[in-house]
Amino acid sequence: MSLLQVDNLHTHFVTRDRDNQVRTATALNGVSFALADGEVLGLVGETGAGKSLTATSIMGLLRPPARIVEGRISFGGRTLTDMPPDELNALRGNEIAIVVQSPKTSLDPLMRIGDQIVRVIQAHRRMERTEAYQRALKMLAAVGIPDPERRAQALPHELSGGMAQRVLIAMALINEPRLLVADEPTTGLDVTVQAQILDMLRRLVSEMGMASLVITHDLGIVAHYCDRVAVMFAGRIVEIGPTAAVFGNPAHPYTRALIGSAPENFSLAAGRPGRGEPPNLYALPPGCHYVDRCPLADSRCAQMPPLVSVSAGHEALCHKATVTTHG
Amino acid sequence: MTMVVTSATPSRVERIVNRVIGVSRRSVVASIGVVILSAFALIAIFGPALVGVDPVHPYLDAILAPPSGRFWFGTDGNGMDVFSRVIYGTRFAFGIALPAVAVSLLIGVPIGLVCGYIGGTIDEITMRVMDAVRIFPTIILALAVVAAAGPSLINVVLVIGILDAPVFVRVVRAEVLALRSSTLVESAVAAGNPTWRILFVHLLPNAIQGATAQVAVRAAWAVRISATLAFLGVGIQPPTPEWGAMIRQGAELMSGGQWWVAVFPGCALILLVFGFNLLGDGLQDILDPRRKVSAR
Repeated sequence: MSLLQVDNLHTHFVTRDRDNQVRTATALNGVSFALADGEVLGLVGETGAGKSLTATSIMGLLRPPARIVEGRISFGGRTLTDMPPDELNALRGNEIAIVVQSPKTSLDPLMRIGDQIVRVIQAHRRMERTEAYQRALKMLAAVGIPDPERRAQALPHELSGGMAQRVLIAMALINEPRLLVADEPTTGLDVTVQAQILDMLRRLVSEMGMASLVITHDLGIVAHYCDRVAVMFAGRIVEIGPTAAVFGNPAHPYTRALIGSAPENFSLAAGRPGRGEPPNLYALPPGCHYVDRCPLADSRCAQMPPLVSVSAGHEALCHKATVTTHG
Repeated sequence: MTMVVTSATPSRVERIVNRVIGVSRRSVVASIGVVILSAFALIAIFGPALVGVDPVHPYLDAILAPPSGRFWFGTDGNGMDVFSRVIYGTRFAFGIALPAVAVSLLIGVPIGLVCGYIGGTIDEITMRVMDAVRIFPTIILALAVVAAAGPSLINVVLVIGILDAPVFVRVVRAEVLALRSSTLVESAVAAGNPTWRILFVHLLPNAIQGATAQVAVRAAWAVRISATLAFLGVGIQPPTPEWGAMIRQGAELMSGGQWWVAVFPGCALILLVFGFNLLGDGLQDILDPRRKVSAR
């Protein structure tokens, strides 16, 4: 049985406009995927595709006007979507942890980082402060922070972005969770630091045997660090499968466009394959969401596309998936 | 800034001294306020012992005596030494203002925290109640409540404290509203913290900063209001050496030429309020992040 199971997740933003009319942004429209113990799944897609929202939905961090209107998320056999806050708090930071995008603003600016990590430990287990502090120091060393004794005394503003991100990772891993959600863990860091942090993360994830959901818009990261990849577009997973299969034989036109627009594959002769804007989430087309930008679109695409099995464990949400892979 | 954070580790005393120097450099206004307030604090603590004159002893041979070598600030209509009364009055000024602000903080900060974080209907209702308290003329409300509850020191402190709580509700709520949607709170929730811990461990220390400058400003207000209540005859009652009550006594004598009875406590009052306000303004400058650079 899989560790994390997301079934037909619909998360919508329900707001009212100036005339008090209800407006619904259908941000997630039936996201389904499963994640096994110890597996690393990459979630890619353009801005607004719903990558972070998927993570926020899993973590139970949605705030109004966002809410889950349909679907089910289960973790280790327990349903998260209707779990009382106390039980959810016992899981969060303990069995499921998240590393968020903006490290510098995610730490409490008034608390020394050693204390912040100790708090995460003590939120979930009874442990003497001194023992917890030693554990925090060990974890700081494990995430590659030099001189952890002194750094633990530092306040967040004294850290660089890369350091702060390492601290956040240390906080997320301190209770050895079974699932780590990494939401663009290296955004805003320079490339060398990015690589160091990802390598460190990958190593710790496999050492601790935890599953990981890595959210990114960087295909290079997915190719290097993920066992499987799920491509999102306008609130749906349009293609999912083993990384090698999806990148070697992309079945969905959007996946191909995404791969084609990666800098290393980009050529002026090929034009701009990924052009177009994200669709309007207030008025999505009834069938395939990619229809307006798809070079292969025809009349069939006004219908909801089927989930086509391309190869073992490799599926695409497209009318033309099988056709195009052979063509 | 002169702060060297990582390379050197100065001793605790050095750090504090450096910090004081740094702050006073950043705001001259605040430093003047601190000097004035420290002077008053010293007077409040040590003054009465040094003066050695009973502030309520009637010198019947010297009723309404003008300032002289024997009575520096003269005597009032009961023959009581105005100098000694002004000195003792400092204790009442602080003794009402500081506890009153403490009461405001104790009431206002938790309400502001909860309202700002939870939002929705509870917040809406609470804020309208706060508006109602604010919109009512404070003096009249305070007069009515003190008149009904009795003019004891405790009642005056409580009334002033409660009436001023909305200020702190607003300040703290505004800070929490800004912090609520921050990734700081998001990661605290994601770490499995229950709501109360997020409120009091993470939000409270971060939101209280905005309230610190207000503390001094509201203390000035509390000094003024308590004096006003006494002046109007519902606060602390004469012959207790309270400045407002003394000014009231003296006001009636001004036209007769016995200016000293009202002027000396009046000056003390103005100076103390001035001190609190300077400190408040200075703190606002120091704590306002947009002015950090220019105020350096």
